[in-house]
Amino acid sequence: MPTVHSAVLAAEDSAVEGIDLLIPAWYDIIWSSVVLVIIAIVFYKYILPKFQAVLDERTEKIEGGLAQAETAQAEAAAALEEYHQQLQEARTEAAKIREEARAEGSAIVAELRTKAQDDATRILETAHRQVEAERQQASISLRADVGSLATELASKIVGESLEDHARQSRVVDRFLADLESENTAGVGSNGQEG
Amino acid sequence: MDVTTLAEVTGNIGTVGYGLAAIGPGIGLGILIGKTIEGMARQPEAAGQLRATMFLGVAFVELLALLGIVAGFLFV
Amino acid sequence: MCPLKSGTPDPDPWESPLFTLAAPLTVVASAEGEGGGFHAPSITDFFPPAIFFEGTIFEFNRVMLIRVIMTILLLAIFVIAARRAKLVPGRFQNAIEMILDFVRINIVGEIMGEERGRRYVPMITVIFLTVLTFNISGVIPFMNLAGTALIGLPVMLALWVFVTYWVAGIRKHGFGGYLKANLFPPGVPKPIYVIVAPIELLQILIIRPASLAIRLMANMVAGHIMLVLCFSATSYFLFEAAPALKAFGVLTFAGGFAFTLFELLVAALQAYIFGLLASVYINLSLDEEH
Repeated sequence: MPTVHSAVLAAEDSAVEGIDLLIPAWYDIIWSSVVLVIIAIVFYKYILPKFQAVLDERTEKIEGGLAQAETAQAEAAAALEEYHQQLQEARTEAAKIREEARAEGSAIVAELRTKAQDDATRILETAHRQVEAERQQASISLRADVGSLATELASKIVGESLEDHARQSRVVDRFLADLESENTAGVGSNGQEG
Repeated sequence: MDVTTLAEVTGNIGTVGYGLAAIGPGIGLGILIGKTIEGMARQPEAAGQLRATMFLGVAFVELLALLGIVAGFLFV
Repeated sequence: MCPLKSGTPDPDPWESPLFTLAAPLTVVASAEGEGGGFHAPSITDFFPPAIFFEGTIFEFNRVMLIRVIMTILLLAIFVIAARRAKLVPGRFQNAIEMILDFVRINIVGEIMGEERGRRYVPMITVIFLTVLTFNISGVIPFMNLAGTALIGLPVMLALWVFVTYWVAGIRKHGFGGYLKANLFPPGVPKPIYVIVAPIELLQILIIRPASLAIRLMANMVAGHIMLVLCFSATSYFLFEAAPALKAFGVLTFAGGFAFTLFELLVAALQAYIFGLLASVYINLSLDEEH
């Protein structure tokens, strides 16, 4: 195996032995170190910090987002609560108003009813009073008339002969006819109630 | 005296040596990894710990095979 | 493996160093070569001739070129991703963040825990991505050679891990305390320490970093050799072998296809294992008792 490419190896001074695989040549070590150091520096100084920063930022953003979402949720819950409360208040308010309105309405109705009743009683009363007054007036005028009529009748009776029955009845009839005519003439305008 | 060559093998006996050196570690790796898989199947929650320990053991066992390579080159 | 021994010298492919190891391209090279060309994979694949600075310690060859290109690619992707990084990620940024999260949670987090691991996340991330990138170059056309297949890079990565876990252990327990915790694990009978202590010392000094480096390198070398074998056999069967053998070319091509997918898996797996073991070693140094 060591002399497979003898033509090539002649150019290289030394033949390649298997052990060379295990013992690094100086140039190998040097170039490996150069490459490794360059990679390490770039990764340590630039790439990894950059990704770390992005990761940190992302974590922060996610946490911030979560917190924000939480507060938003809390706010929403509070708003809902408030809304419910307001709704409740509005409902009670409405109920109260309705109650009040109902009470007021019934009060008004009652008032109107009492008023109407009052009116009715008053009207009735005035009517009664008027009737009473008219009755009184009638009775007063009747009483006055009856007195004069009685006296007139008496005088007429006295003036005529009281024995004669025919005459007597004639006088009374005449009196009544007189009275009737007088009544229709004089009392006719005053009303015929009686 | 004439020697009749029926078959000829050229090359390095070190190759055969490495072949022999690989038998032991091969068996060892088989047992090691097989046992680890058994352990993982039995306790999946310990898989990470088992895998790490397995690789540690693998490093030990593989060392023998690597020594075989080195020896093959060293004592040509 | 019989084709291995028939490696005929084939100088043509070496003329343009960039393309020599690209297995599909050997198709062209061999086709116009002497006709008997079967480019057998070998270790020399990993030691291509120099491009610049030949003979100095700054020798720059194809593997180094691959590493530089892959570095630029990796940095370009991640710098663009970082520059465009936004709060709400797009598809591209999501993919990048998924990789970073994988390292942070599934590798470091699982081994060390969130709190203790935070300090080491950047390091493991760099290691994971470097290994992954250089592994993947093994299946990228025209590169076809993993940047980690040459031992230098795995060694440097392993050294980094080595230094980190020593520093972590010493900072936590003090030098003596760290050695004592590692060399004399509690719960072991006293006489056994004679055996355990040297083994443990060897473990933390050599075996851990060496196994890290060699595991990675060996996987990549093996993968490269398998791929080259399959594709160069395909080209051999299709263009140079007797007509009766051409059917084998289809078979080897299917094999090469499967191995390419397998190499992708191995590339990711090795990166994962490297990162995981680095975390495990660091974590062992930080533990209260061994």
